[in-house]
Amino acid sequence: MPAYTAPLEDMRFVVHELLADERLQSLPGNEEFSADVLDAVLEEAARFCASVLQPLNRSGDEQGCLFENGVVRTPDGFKDAYREFAAGGWTGLAADNDYGGQGLPETMDALVNEMLCASNLSFAIYPGLSHGAYRLIRRYASEAQRNAWLPPLVEGRWSGTMCLTEPQCGTDLGLIRTHATPRGDDVFALNGAKCFISAGEHDLTENILHLVLARTPDAPPGTGGLSVFLVPKFTINADGTLGPRNGITCGNIEHKMGLNASATCTLNFDDAQGFLVGGLHQGMRVMFTMMNGARLAVALHGIGIAEAAYQGAVAYARERRQGRALDGPRSPEQAADSILVHPDVRRMLLGMRSQIEGARALSTWVAARYVHAQRNPDAQARDDAHDLVSLLTPILKAYCTDMGSEAANLGVQIYGGHGYIREHGMEQLVRDARVCQIYEGANGVQAMDLVGRKLPAHAGRYLRRFFQPVAAFIADNSDNGDLTEFVAPLSEAFALLQKATRWIAENGTRDPNEAGAAASEYLRLFALVAMAFMWARMARIALASESKNKFYRGKLATARFYMQRVLPQTASLYACIVAGGSSIADFEDEAF
Amino acid sequence: MKRDLYKKVDAVRKQGSIVSSNTSTIPLASLLEEMPESFRRDFLITHFFNPPRYMRLLELVAGPTTREDATAEVRDFCDRALGKGVVVCKDTPGFIGNRIGVYWLQCAALEAMRQGLTVEEADAVAGRPLGIPKTGVFGLLDLVGIDLMPHIMVSMDSLLGADDAMREYFEVPDLVQKMIADGYTGRKGKGGFYRLQRDGGKRVKQAIDLASGEYRDAGKAALASVDAAKSGGVRALMEHPDKGGAYAWRIMAKTLCYAASLVPEIADDIVAVDEAMKLGYNWTQGPFELIDALGAAWFTGRLREQGEPVPELLEKVGEGSFYRIADGRRQHFGTDGAYHDVTRPAGVELLADVKLRAQPLATNGSASLWDVGDGVVCLEFHSKMNAIDTDILEMIGKALAIVASGYKGLVIYNEGTNFSVGANLGLMIFAANTAAWNDIESTVRAGQQAYMALKHAPFPVVGAPSGMALGGGCEVLLHCDAVEAHAETYMGLVEVGVGLIPGWGGCKELLLRWWQDSRRPGGPMPAISKAFETISMAMVSTSAAHARRLRFLRQDDGIVMNRDRVLASAKARVLALADDYAPAQAPQPALPGATAKVALEMAVGGFRRLGKASDYDAVIAGALADVLSGGDTDITETVDEHALLDAERRAFMSLVKRPQTLARVEHMLETGKPLRN
Repeated sequence: MPAYTAPLEDMRFVVHELLADERLQSLPGNEEFSADVLDAVLEEAARFCASVLQPLNRSGDEQGCLFENGVVRTPDGFKDAYREFAAGGWTGLAADNDYGGQGLPETMDALVNEMLCASNLSFAIYPGLSHGAYRLIRRYASEAQRNAWLPPLVEGRWSGTMCLTEPQCGTDLGLIRTHATPRGDDVFALNGAKCFISAGEHDLTENILHLVLARTPDAPPGTGGLSVFLVPKFTINADGTLGPRNGITCGNIEHKMGLNASATCTLNFDDAQGFLVGGLHQGMRVMFTMMNGARLAVALHGIGIAEAAYQGAVAYARERRQGRALDGPRSPEQAADSILVHPDVRRMLLGMRSQIEGARALSTWVAARYVHAQRNPDAQARDDAHDLVSLLTPILKAYCTDMGSEAANLGVQIYGGHGYIREHGMEQLVRDARVCQIYEGANGVQAMDLVGRKLPAHAGRYLRRFFQPVAAFIADNSDNGDLTEFVAPLSEAFALLQKATRWIAENGTRDPNEAGAAASEYLRLFALVAMAFMWARMARIALASESKNKFYRGKLATARFYMQRVLPQTASLYACIVAGGSSIADFEDEAF
Repeated sequence: MKRDLYKKVDAVRKQGSIVSSNTSTIPLASLLEEMPESFRRDFLITHFFNPPRYMRLLELVAGPTTREDATAEVRDFCDRALGKGVVVCKDTPGFIGNRIGVYWLQCAALEAMRQGLTVEEADAVAGRPLGIPKTGVFGLLDLVGIDLMPHIMVSMDSLLGADDAMREYFEVPDLVQKMIADGYTGRKGKGGFYRLQRDGGKRVKQAIDLASGEYRDAGKAALASVDAAKSGGVRALMEHPDKGGAYAWRIMAKTLCYAASLVPEIADDIVAVDEAMKLGYNWTQGPFELIDALGAAWFTGRLREQGEPVPELLEKVGEGSFYRIADGRRQHFGTDGAYHDVTRPAGVELLADVKLRAQPLATNGSASLWDVGDGVVCLEFHSKMNAIDTDILEMIGKALAIVASGYKGLVIYNEGTNFSVGANLGLMIFAANTAAWNDIESTVRAGQQAYMALKHAPFPVVGAPSGMALGGGCEVLLHCDAVEAHAETYMGLVEVGVGLIPGWGGCKELLLRWWQDSRRPGGPMPAISKAFETISMAMVSTSAAHARRLRFLRQDDGIVMNRDRVLASAKARVLALADDYAPAQAPQPALPGATAKVALEMAVGGFRRLGKASDYDAVIAGALADVLSGGDTDITETVDEHALLDAERRAFMSLVKRPQTLARVEHMLETGKPLRN
């Protein structure tokens, strides 16, 4: 089993140095979160993850959840771990003080989340969904509802879910059949079946708040007729205590490729009492609050898994001795050199590391922008930040989860046969990472969201929040000779991204199939350039800092690898995009 | 009453002077009862459509005794001096336009009520999808006045034959009678089928419920048939099984058959009918063109299927079509069963006709070059809304080469609704949003170079606009040697509305126009101030005549009343200029630089204090002032065209990078309205 140590030094670098310009502490509500406070939070989270969650990761996978008579039991140790997690205040880390939360900025939530995912992704699913439910209720529920539902959710006594998928509909939510019949006073009776519901039933909390997408009688067809209902597992009395069990039962749990300790449930609604949240037929808009947050959270699943795989692979590469370095023995006293000497092993490790650190920087930047979108007193600044978050959400979700899978596979590769057997826990990472590319909107759907919605929105305004700062950075740093090796490749790749964007804008409006064919490669091109932007900024900071410092030297070296060995992929992606989609569209269906 | 008036007129008029009446329904024969032969010989009907400035149809009805030369003279006068599309009609009730138009209106309104459509649904069907103005049927009734409806019905009743098909739709429904009695006569009254209600501060559009007569908030009609028409055309609309499809079929089958049954009763040929409906009711296709679009055989087949009578003319055309192209000429189906050339009045030349017989000399997605005869090449824009993009700029380059290789000159002309609405803002803002500043700057440069090349070409270039010529569309005209403009030409440098200044030589040209004005008072300031005022206030001419006063047109630029004669005038102008042609030399003004800029900025400051200009308006005005004052110069030096263009480009680039400018562009693209930020 690989050990996991939270990459605190890198996290501190991102928050305090890379994102210093974000000036998060100056925003209302953030005044007391000094660097010291944030560091203490990160350290405590790191301790908890290493000592409590990570040791449960493999046993949880082996044992899995148990379904019996409608009851789901989480693996041994999960209940205690969750109790300790809630007692530590982690369930309300980024929740408002008003509801008993810690009120920390979402950047902290993102970094702590990465740690949770790296140490035990199955476990992280449970509180992750609760936080999504918190955000939705916080924004759309009435004051009375917020006061009744949020404190126990924030406290961790209750948890949340999002119920969208049904057997006949996944991506296409317009096909939803679950229906809600009015029973007066905004109370509805829900009937239908949902499947693939993460944390739909479990023994960690005393109650579960399901946020259910359903159709009301006479609602228009398609997604425009959907509404969101809060359906508690146990009904809630006026005084906040729990009443009798609601008409909602778990039919079974899925047997999956991975994430065995996370309960993926079939739920049956049988006249279950539900409460309308956020207006009739507003379901898609309301649920997107949860989904957008969830997409960013899933990006962290990818980064966390990748970091775990990287740490395991580095440890193994140091100790595993096989063969000799190509230019002569490094450890002549030993029978063989460590495999760390082999260029291909180093290539794999650096590929993982450079993308993990780039993605961490990018996702934390987006989290910081999210904080501005929520808390900046200036309306224009909030809107600008919101634009950037909207633009980069699908990019982060798809790119980071692809990276998570890729890194988990490289982890196995570096372990060789020892990675393929269960004993070392490396193959679990592959299995756990895989679904992240699928849930919360498959990565192909993210690419379509990017080219079909985010690009054309407001005549391309979302793009401005990314492209103009990058262009300004390139212009500002073009005279900095020491930085040329980073800025020049960024500038070159950025020009390709500009051209690809224009190509899609021109050709995609003419023929939507062209945009569809280009979408996935465009998303990847965009992600690589966005990370190059982060790497160039990080390199600038590292260059300006003490060169003897090992951390900064590592940063510069990793930046160099990224620019020389990862970023050039942009050229082939660009070539694919501008080749157009005819070879895809023209292929005869019968010939498949 | 009219007859009394005619007697008075006859007593004082010069012998041989022509008298005409604008009656819309009274037959000529009845007007002339009791009038002497001498009067009858000089009398005819000239029926205009409202509003006469914009509606091009003029129905000309001559009696059996009218002098032929009087008819010809009036016809020519109406065509050339008034710019009318003259359609010769027979002396029958309602002539052509109103006979068919009123039938259509009554039929569409009554069928909507009978078939249970809402007013929004009826207008959504009986409008755009059929090539009919979006006011549809009820919106149009509101516009013309609902109270007119019973009057016309009474008049038609007294004039039409006992078996006329219009009698099927003579009914004036109770709802309409009640609306008229209560003062709901349309837009001129308290409201009509639609009305605007004040709800708090905002105005809410309401529509009447045709069944209950109560108003409710207007909605958007959601009909699958209307969506089907977007890709499938009129036939897809009529074949659609929903109520919109059934309604469309019903009203158009009725109307088209009615029209087909009236030739040759009301006009000698189908061309007159189609022209009348297009020019008088703004249909994009006349009834017979619509039948061709549906397929005459399909249309007849469906009538038969439903047991509807098939008019004789439709039987005659059979599997054929009402129009065809033969030997590059458009021909129409005559009542004699043969095809005849569609003729144009002498001196009318249309690019549409050229296209029937020739291939373009060059073409791309946004523009084409045509040989329009007599050694003249026509540059046609055909991009979306004729917006100017890099394809058009490229085609200008091609035009320069092709014309120089053996033609006499170039006409810039097209037959779109608008000459050009300006540069393609969508592409520009996308480039700005992706920080592709070099792309933007090179497009600005390319436009400047293309327009300069037109201006200094070794052959004459004549612009021939109609409708809107804004921004880059105005600038290209400013660079022409001469312009022959349709009277309804709306020119303006409107860039400040989207946070920019003219960057393709508009500032330069307007400044030089005022500079060269012979009546300009002394010193450079009057010219600078005039150009500054015109551009900073984004003034748009309300006509070609007004464009002259704003100096977008020169005093000797032509104004052509008839839209169909613009091309011929422009060609003639090219040929007149082509002899001994030498490109004009641009003046090199001595401009005051900073001192002028300060003066202009002080004026802007005044507007700002009065609340007439926003802070950002002042920023734009500052950039404009910088260009027009000559920039970094003083009165002892002269400034050439290139220096002015460089200044324009710099100012343009500085503005296009500002978020307030991009917010204005975005707002314009999303709402079609300027943003004042």
